[in-house]
Amino acid sequence: MSGRGGYLLRKIGWAVLTVFVVISFNFVLFRVLPGDPAKSGLRDPRLNPAAVEALRERFGTDKPVFIDLQADNPLDSQFTAYLGALSRADLGTSYAFRDQPVSDLIGQALVNTLWLVLPSQVLAIILGSVLGLFAAWRRGRALDVGALTFSLFMWSLPTFFLGIILLVAGAHWFGLPSAGRVTIGADYADVWEAALDIGSHLILPTLTLTLVLLGEYMLIMRSSVLDVFGEDYILTARAKGLSTYRIIRHHALRNAMLPMVTLIALNLGFTVSGAIQVEAVYSWPGLGALTVSAVADRDYPVLQGAFLLIALSVVVANLVAELIYGWLDPRVSEG
Amino acid sequence: MTDHLLRVEGLAKTFPGRRSLADVLARRPAQPVRAVDGVSFELGPGEVLALVGESGSGKTTVGNLLMGLMAPSGGRVLLDGAEVGRLSARDLRLLRRRVQMVFQDPYESLNPRMTVREIVAEPLRVHRIGASSAELRTRVAGALTSAGLTPVDAYLARYPFELSGGQRQRIVIAAALALQPSLLIADEPVSMLDVSIRAEILNLLSALAREQGISVVMITHDLSTVAAYADRIAVMYLGRIVEYGPTRAVLAEPRHPYAQALLSVVPVPDPSLRRRPVILRGEMPDPSNIPSGCRFHPRCPLAFDRCPTVDPPLFAVGPEHAAACLLVEEPEAAAGPERRLG
Amino acid sequence: MTAVLEATTSTTVEAPPRAWRSFLRHRMGVIGAAMLGIALLVAAFAPLLAPYDPYASVRVNILDIYQAPSATHVLGTDDGGKDVLSSLLYGARVSLVVGFSAAAIALVIGGLVGIVAGYRGGWVGSLLMRITDFFLVIPDLALQIVLVAIIGPSLGTIIFVIGALGWTTTARLVRSQTLSVRERKFVMRARAIGAGDAHILRRHILPAVLPLMLANMVLVISLAILSESTLAFLGLGDPTVISWGQMLNFAFDRGAVSAGAWWALLPPGFAIVWVVLATTLLGTALEDALNPRLKRHHLEAPGSDVARDRTVPALVPPLTEAEAPILRVRDLSIEFDVGGRSLRAVDRVSFDLRRGETLGLVGESGCGKTTTVLGILRLLPPGGRVVGGSVLFDGEDLLSLDGRALRSFRWTRLSLVFQGAMNALNPVRTVGDQIQEAIRLHAPGTSKADAALRAGELLERVGIGRRRANEYPHTYSGGMRQRAMIALALACDPDVIVADEPTTALDVMIQAQILELLGGIARDFGMGIILVTHDLGVVAQVCDRVVVMYGGVVAEENDAATLFASPQHPYTQQLLQSFPDLAHPDRPLRGIPGSPPRLDAMPSGCRFAPRCPHVFDRCVNEPPLYPAAGGRASCFLLDPAERRA
Repeated sequence: MSGRGGYLLRKIGWAVLTVFVVISFNFVLFRVLPGDPAKSGLRDPRLNPAAVEALRERFGTDKPVFIDLQADNPLDSQFTAYLGALSRADLGTSYAFRDQPVSDLIGQALVNTLWLVLPSQVLAIILGSVLGLFAAWRRGRALDVGALTFSLFMWSLPTFFLGIILLVAGAHWFGLPSAGRVTIGADYADVWEAALDIGSHLILPTLTLTLVLLGEYMLIMRSSVLDVFGEDYILTARAKGLSTYRIIRHHALRNAMLPMVTLIALNLGFTVSGAIQVEAVYSWPGLGALTVSAVADRDYPVLQGAFLLIALSVVVANLVAELIYGWLDPRVSEG
Repeated sequence: MTDHLLRVEGLAKTFPGRRSLADVLARRPAQPVRAVDGVSFELGPGEVLALVGESGSGKTTVGNLLMGLMAPSGGRVLLDGAEVGRLSARDLRLLRRRVQMVFQDPYESLNPRMTVREIVAEPLRVHRIGASSAELRTRVAGALTSAGLTPVDAYLARYPFELSGGQRQRIVIAAALALQPSLLIADEPVSMLDVSIRAEILNLLSALAREQGISVVMITHDLSTVAAYADRIAVMYLGRIVEYGPTRAVLAEPRHPYAQALLSVVPVPDPSLRRRPVILRGEMPDPSNIPSGCRFHPRCPLAFDRCPTVDPPLFAVGPEHAAACLLVEEPEAAAGPERRLG
Repeated sequence: MTAVLEATTSTTVEAPPRAWRSFLRHRMGVIGAAMLGIALLVAAFAPLLAPYDPYASVRVNILDIYQAPSATHVLGTDDGGKDVLSSLLYGARVSLVVGFSAAAIALVIGGLVGIVAGYRGGWVGSLLMRITDFFLVIPDLALQIVLVAIIGPSLGTIIFVIGALGWTTTARLVRSQTLSVRERKFVMRARAIGAGDAHILRRHILPAVLPLMLANMVLVISLAILSESTLAFLGLGDPTVISWGQMLNFAFDRGAVSAGAWWALLPPGFAIVWVVLATTLLGTALEDALNPRLKRHHLEAPGSDVARDRTVPALVPPLTEAEAPILRVRDLSIEFDVGGRSLRAVDRVSFDLRRGETLGLVGESGCGKTTTVLGILRLLPPGGRVVGGSVLFDGEDLLSLDGRALRSFRWTRLSLVFQGAMNALNPVRTVGDQIQEAIRLHAPGTSKADAALRAGELLERVGIGRRRANEYPHTYSGGMRQRAMIALALACDPDVIVADEPTTALDVMIQAQILELLGGIARDFGMGIILVTHDLGVVAQVCDRVVVMYGGVVAEENDAATLFASPQHPYTQQLLQSFPDLAHPDRPLRGIPGSPPRLDAMPSGCRFAPRCPHVFDRCVNEPPLYPAAGGRASCFLLDPAERRA
C-alpha cells in the first residue's frame, strides 16, 4: 500500500506547492504591476517627503519586497508581512466599503457563491453523466446527435448571453425574480418564507450555470464512455454472458468515471468563469459579482482577496478530485 | 590489427532504479537495474550472430549500445578497433554510416508522411552524401534493388500505407543499405510479419551478409527463425551471455541448462516428434534484483550446492563454444542426488 | 481483436491527401468554414456594408434611444441612439482581430512550450509542464479580470492577456503529440541513422505536430472570442472600440431589458454565437480529420449480428452421423459493411469439433480466423453480420438464439480466452472478483463465500495461487494474466474453450507454460478447445485436428498428423516450407512470394491463385470447391477431372 500512500503524499505535496505559488503570484501581481493607487499616490508631487514616508510606512512599502540581506532583519519584508497577515486571515480593508475587513466581505461572498455553484455542479455532473452515457451507448442515434448539438450550442453561447436570455424569458413568462439573493425589503413571516424567497432567486442563476456545465460534462462523459466501450474487457464481459445493463453498471461506469473525475477537476476554471458571469448577470452577491464590482470601484484589496480565494478554492477542489481518482483507480501506485 | 569487425568486451549497462517517494522518505537506496552485465563477443565481416533471449534478458539494450544510442556503464564496443563509447560527436556520425539498424515493426518504423524515395534518401541527406541529385537517385535505386524492391520506379513515389508488411520491411532495409554499412543490427526483424513473408526477409538479410559481406547482429526471442541463418548464437539470460557458440553446435548440443530448456520448448511443426520439453517454472527475475551466484540457479532444474554462491564464467566446451555453467567444470555434480538443490 | 477491420480499412493512415478528403467528408467542418468566411467578409467590408458610421459622434436625442427596427434602422437603435446593425458589422472586426491575434500569441507560446517539453523531456520538460499545470489550475477568467483591471483595458492589453493565458491547452496538446511522435519507431530509426535534433524536429516532429497545432489554433480562436466578449460584457472592454460584448454590456446595464429592446441584445449575442460556432465546427472537423480515431464499440446495439435470411447457398449437404460433434459449423459466411460495401470476410467455412478434441484454426493475419470464431460466439463487431450457414452447438443452432438464451449459453457451454490478456481483464476490479462474477451470474444461488472458494480453486489450478485472488490485474505479469484469463474461462465449467492467439505476445518459455496448462485442462476436464493461431509449431504440438484458412475460406482441413505429413493444398505445402523447423535446422526456408489478399481486393477465383506456383486457367476464373468435412483441400489439383487432364 506504500504506492498509494506515495500517491497521496505526492498529490498533497503538489497542492501545497501550488498554494504557495498562488499566494506568491498574488503578491507579485499586485505589487509589481502598475496601477495600484497606494503606489501611484506616492508619486503625487504635492506630497512633502514626510507625508510620503508616512504613506510608505502605512502601506509597508518602505520595506524590501522579498529579502534584503544587508538589513538587520533580512526577513522583515513586504512579502513576509503579507504572509503574516495572510496567516491571520487579514486581507486588509476594503476601499469601497469603508472599514469593512476584506476577509468578511469575501467570506460572505464565498458562501453565496457556493449556494449557486454546488447545486449547479451536482446537477450538471449527474445529468451530464447520464446523458453522456446514453449518447455514447447509442452512438450515432438521435439521442447522441441531439446531445452533441446541444453541447455545441452551449459551448458557443457566451454564458452571460445565455443568462440574459433566460433572465428575460424567466422574468417575463414565469415571473421569476431576476436579480439579487433576496427580495429587497422583504419581511418574512417565518423561515420557510425566507427559504422560498431565496430559492426562487436561485432558480434562474442555477439553471443557467447548470446548462452551461451540462454541455461540457456530457461531452466529457460521452468520450470517456466511448473509450471504455472499446476496451477488450467489455468484450470479455459480453462473452461472459452479462446483460448490457450489468456490463455498463459493473464494468463500464467506474472506468469511465476515471477520466471524468480528472476532466471535471481540469474544468473547474470553467466553472469559476461560468459562475462569475452568472453572478454578474443576476447580481448574485457572490465572489464573481464582488470581483466585478471591485474592478469597477478600483477596490484592490478586495480584488486581491477575491482572486486569492477563487484560485485557492480551485486548487483545493483539484486536490479533492485527485484523491477521488486515487481511490477509484487501483493502478495509481504505478504512476 | 584483428580481422574482427566488431568486438564487444565486458559490456555493461546499468539504469538508475526508480525510487518511490516512500522509499526516499525511508532512505531506502534505489535498486539499480543491471540490464546488461558483462557481455563479450566478436563478429567478423559477413558473419551473422544471433542474440537470443526472452524479454528482460537485455538483448535489446545490447543492440542500442552497439548503435551508440546510449553510453555503456562499463566495458567497451570496438568497431574496427575504434571505441564506440568514446567517439566525438563527429566520429559518432561517421560510425552511424557504418552501423545501421532494422527495427521490429515495419508498420511503425516508417514515417507515414514520407514517400519511399524520401525515406530511403533520408540517411543520405542526413550525412550529406550524394551532392548531385543524379547521384542521390542512383544510390536510392541501388539500395532499393539490393533490398529486392524492383522495379524501383514502381515504389519511389508510394507512401508506406500503400505497401504490404514485407515490402515495408524491405524499405527499412533499403534505407539502412543506402549508407552502405558494414554492420546491420536487426532487432526482431520478422516477428511482426506474416509467417509466409518471414523467410523472404531472413533470406534477404542472409544474402546481404553472404554476398556483400555485411555483418549482421540479429536480436530475437525466437530460436527457430535464426537457426537456418545465423553463423553463431549467443543465448542471453538476465543481462549476460550464458551460452555462445556456432549455431550448429549450440542447437545440437546446448550445454547451459537454460539454453537446453529454451531449445526444448520451441514448438516444432511436426506432430510425430513428441519431444519432452523442459518447462521452467516461474518467470525471469527482475533485473534490479539479480540472484546471487549463478543468476539462473533459482529456476535451474540441475542446480547444486555451489550454484547459489559461485557466479560461473564462460567455460569453453568445444571449438569457439562456451557455456557459463558450473556443470561444465563439475559434470558429476548433476549425477548424484546428494548435492542437488531443492 | 479487430484484425479484420484493420485489414479492411486503413483508417490509421495519416498521409496528407487522405486527411484532406476526410475533412471534406465532415460536412460540419465545411459549414463552419463557410460561416467563418462570411464573418471575415463582413469584417473586411464593414465600412461598405454599414449604413451608418458607429464611430461618428452624434447628438443624442432622447427619442432616438432604443428605437425599434424600422426602414431607417433595420435592427433598431441602441442606448446611445446609434444604429445597431452598423455597430454589429463593425464589431466583427474587433472580435476577429482579438480572436486571431490572441490565438496567434497562444499558439506561439503553447507550441514552443509543448515542443520543448515533449521533445526535451527531462527536468526542463517537467518544469515546463508544472508551469503549464499551474496555469491550467488558475481560473482563466478571474486572472484575466485581475490583469486587465491592473494594466488597464485597451485592445492591446486584452489581446495580450487572453493570448498569454490561453496557451495551456495548446501546450498540453503539442507536448503529448510531440512525445508520441518522438517515441515512434521511425524517429528512433532516424536517430539511429545519425540524424541530429534539428533534422528530426524539421522532418519528423513538425510535420506531424503543425497541422494539429493549426487545428487547435482554430479552437483557441473561438475561446479567445468568447473571452473578449465576456471581458467586455463585464465592463473590461476597450472603451474606444465597439465590440459585441460591449454592445451587450451597454444594453444590459442601460435598461434594454426593461425597455424590451430585444434588438439591442439578441443581434450582438447571436453574432458571437455565429463566430464561435463557426470556429468550433471548423476546428473540431480539422482535428478529427488530422487525428482520425477508429473507435471500437463493443456495446453498440447491432442491428443484428445475424442476417434475417442467411442466403449464401450451402455447399455441404446436411450430414447425419451417429455421434454428433459438440460444435458443428456449416457454411458459415460473414460480411462486413465497410464504406458502403459488403465485404465477405468469411466464406462458407465448415468444420466439426468433437468432444474433448483440440482443433487448431491456423492462418495468417486477415485470413478470417478470428472473425470466424467471433461469428460463432456471436460477438462480431458492429458492421459484421453472419449472412449464411449454421453453427450447431450440441444440436442447438447458436445463430437463432435470442438475447436471453444467448446470455445463459455463454460461458456455461462455450468460453473464451482472448489474445492479449493485458486488456481483457477489467483493471479496476480484482481478478478473483471477476471470476466470482461469472460464477454467480450463471449459478445465481451460489453464496459469495462459495464463489470465492471456487475462484480460489481455479486460480490454484492455473498455477497462480488463491492468495492473489484479491489483487488487481496490473500487479500480474503478462503470463499470469493469461493464466488468470484461463481460470476465468474455466469458471462455469464449459464444454468448449476458444483460445484466440493465447500465447502470441508471450515469451517462448511462458508460451510453453500456457500451452502445457491448456493441454492439461483439455485432458483433465475433457474440454474441447479451439486454438486460433498463426503458429504451425504450436498447432503441431497441441492440436488433434487442423483447419487451415486463407483469404476467408478453408484451404485445408485434416487430422494434425496427416496434415503435417502430407499437406494437400499448395498453400499448406508452401506455408510449411516457409516455417522454421528446429528439428531440421539445415532445411532452407522458402517464403511465399506476394502477400495475402486484402478483403477489398479478393481474387474472384481461387484466393491463393496469385501466389500459387501451380496456378492454371481454371483457378483464376472459378473458386475451387470448399471441403466437405472429413479431410479435403479446396484446390482444383485435387479434382479427379483435373488429374486426368
